[in-house]
Amino acid sequence: MKETTKEREIVLKLNNVSLGYNKTIYSNINASASKGEIIAVIGANGTGKSTLLKSISGVLPYRNGEITVFGQNTKKQKPNQLAQRVSFVPTQSPRAKNFSLFDMLATGCYNRSNWIGNISNEDQILIGNTLQKVGLSSFEDRDISTLSDGEFQRAAIARSLVQNSQIILLDEPTAFLDIANKIIVIKLLQDIAHNQNKTIIFSTHDLLQAIKTCDKIWILGHSNFMEGTPNSLIEKGAFDKIFKDSSLKFDSTLLTFV
Amino acid sequence: MPIKDIIAAITGDQAPSWVSNILFSYRIPKAITALMAGAALSICGLQMQTLFKNPLADPFILGISSGAGLGVAIFIMGFSAFGISVSGSLLANIGIVTAAWLGASAITLLILLVSKKLQDNISLLIFGIMIGSVTGAIISLIQYFSSSTDLKVFVMWTMGSFSGLSTSQIWILFLLVFIGFALSIYNIKDLNALLLGEAYAKSLGVNLENTRKRILIATTLLAGSVTAFCGPIGFIGIAVPHIARMIFKNANHKILLPATALLGAALMIFADTVSQLPGQAQVLPINTVSALIGVPVIMYIILKSKIV
Repeated sequence: MKETTKEREIVLKLNNVSLGYNKTIYSNINASASKGEIIAVIGANGTGKSTLLKSISGVLPYRNGEITVFGQNTKKQKPNQLAQRVSFVPTQSPRAKNFSLFDMLATGCYNRSNWIGNISNEDQILIGNTLQKVGLSSFEDRDISTLSDGEFQRAAIARSLVQNSQIILLDEPTAFLDIANKIIVIKLLQDIAHNQNKTIIFSTHDLLQAIKTCDKIWILGHSNFMEGTPNSLIEKGAFDKIFKDSSLKFDSTLLTFV
Repeated sequence: MPIKDIIAAITGDQAPSWVSNILFSYRIPKAITALMAGAALSICGLQMQTLFKNPLADPFILGISSGAGLGVAIFIMGFSAFGISVSGSLLANIGIVTAAWLGASAITLLILLVSKKLQDNISLLIFGIMIGSVTGAIISLIQYFSSSTDLKVFVMWTMGSFSGLSTSQIWILFLLVFIGFALSIYNIKDLNALLLGEAYAKSLGVNLENTRKRILIATTLLAGSVTAFCGPIGFIGIAVPHIARMIFKNANHKILLPATALLGAALMIFADTVSQLPGQAQVLPINTVSALIGVPVIMYIILKSKIV
C-alpha cells in the first residue's frame, strides 16, 4: 500500500461519463489518473470494466460526458493522435500463425513507420531493449502463436511500451495466467508506472492484488462509481458496495470478502 | 502447333502465319488475362481473410460476384423482356462487361454505406452474405422468366473464360487491376496491424473505417473487374492465400501479399493450360477447373485445421 502525497500531473480525466453504445450500461463516472500511477479497475462481472477501458482508448464509443487526455477531448482526436497518448491491451488477441514477435512489436510503431510499415533503426533498437525489459530478449524471431499466455501478455505490454503512449490500459491482464506469471506481470506493470512514469490502468478481479500493488482503485460499484487510494476506500467501506448482495462484507484485516 | 514454329514466332524468326496468328491473337492475350485474374483474385482473398479474420473469406464473400451476376442477368435477360435482344449483337460483349462492373460496384457501394453503421467486421460479413443470397434469388427469378437463348448466354458467362478479350479490353483490365494492386500494397501496413484483432488495431492508431473502405475498394477494383471480363471464377481467392501461407510460413503481408499474387498467377496459368485439354479440340470452362484445383486445397486446410 503506497500513499503518495507528491503532486503529480493529471493526464486523464473522466467527467460524468456514461458508457454504452445504443443504451447506457453505466453512468456518472468521475475519475482522474496521473503520471506514474498504477490504477486497478474493480467491479462485478458485466458492470462495464472492459467497456470503460475500451471507451477511454477509443476502441469503443461512449454515450455521454467527457473523457480528456492531456486536457483534450478524446472524441476530437483522430485514432492516430489518440494512439500516441493511449494504448489498449485486450484480454486475449487472436494470434496469427507465423507472425514473428519482432513483426508484432513493429506494428506498435504504426504512427512512426513509413507507408508500408518499415521502421527506423532507432525503433529496431527500441524493440530490442523493450523485449529485454519484459524478459523476452531472445524471443525476437519467435512465432507469436507459440508463446505461452504469460509470454504473450508480456509481449502485448512490450507493444504498448514501443508505442510509447503515456497511458496504458489493460483489460484483465492476469486473467489467464498462473500465480507465478500473475506476479511477474503485475510487478512489471508496477515497475513501468513507478520507474518510467507511465500511467497504468488495468481491470482485475483480484482485489487483494489491487489493494497491495495499486496507487489508486476505481470501483464500478453496483450503484455508483468510487475512486480513491486503497486505504481511503477501505476506511469508507467502499468495497462492501461492489456487489449487489449486501450479505457480502469486506473484512479490512483479512483483506477479503466474508 | 509445332514447338519449333512457336519459338520462331516468339523470337521473331520466320514462322507460318497461322502460328503467329494463334499465338499473338489468342494464346498470349489469354495467358496475360489469366495471369492478371489469378493474381488479382488471390490478393483479394488474402485481404478479405485478414480483414474478416475468416479463413474461408474470398473476393466474393461480400456479394461482389453476385452483384456482377445480377448486372449481367439484368443486361442479358432483363432487356429481352422488353423485346430488345442483346445476345449475339456487337455490343453484347462490352455491355456484359459494363453491366457486371456496375453490378459489382453497386453492391460494394451498398456495403460501404452499411459499414458505417456496423461496429464490427463479423456483422459486415454476415450482411454481405445476406446481400449475396438476395441477389442470387433475384438472378434465379430473372432466369426463370427468360428465354433459352438468353439463358445460355448468361450460363456461358457464369462458367468463366479468359478468351475473347480484345487488346483494348486487356488494357482496360490491366489499368483497373494495376490501380487495385497499388491500393492493396498500400493496405499492407494496416493488414499487418489487423492480424491481432480489431481492438488491437484500433489501439495502434488504425482508422478502421478508412481501412475497411480501402480494402473494399481495392477488392472491387480487382475482383469486380476480373469478374466483369472473365466471369465469376471461384475458389482461387480462398485457396491461394492458404497455399502461400503453407509455403512461405510468414504471416507478414510484406511477404505474403506478393507471394500470394505470384502463386495466384501461376496457378491460374496452370488451370488455364489444363482447361485447354492439350491435344484436344475442346476447351473446358475455367470455373470447373478452378473448382477442381481449389476445393481439394480448401478441404486439406480444413482437415489439417491450418486455419489462418
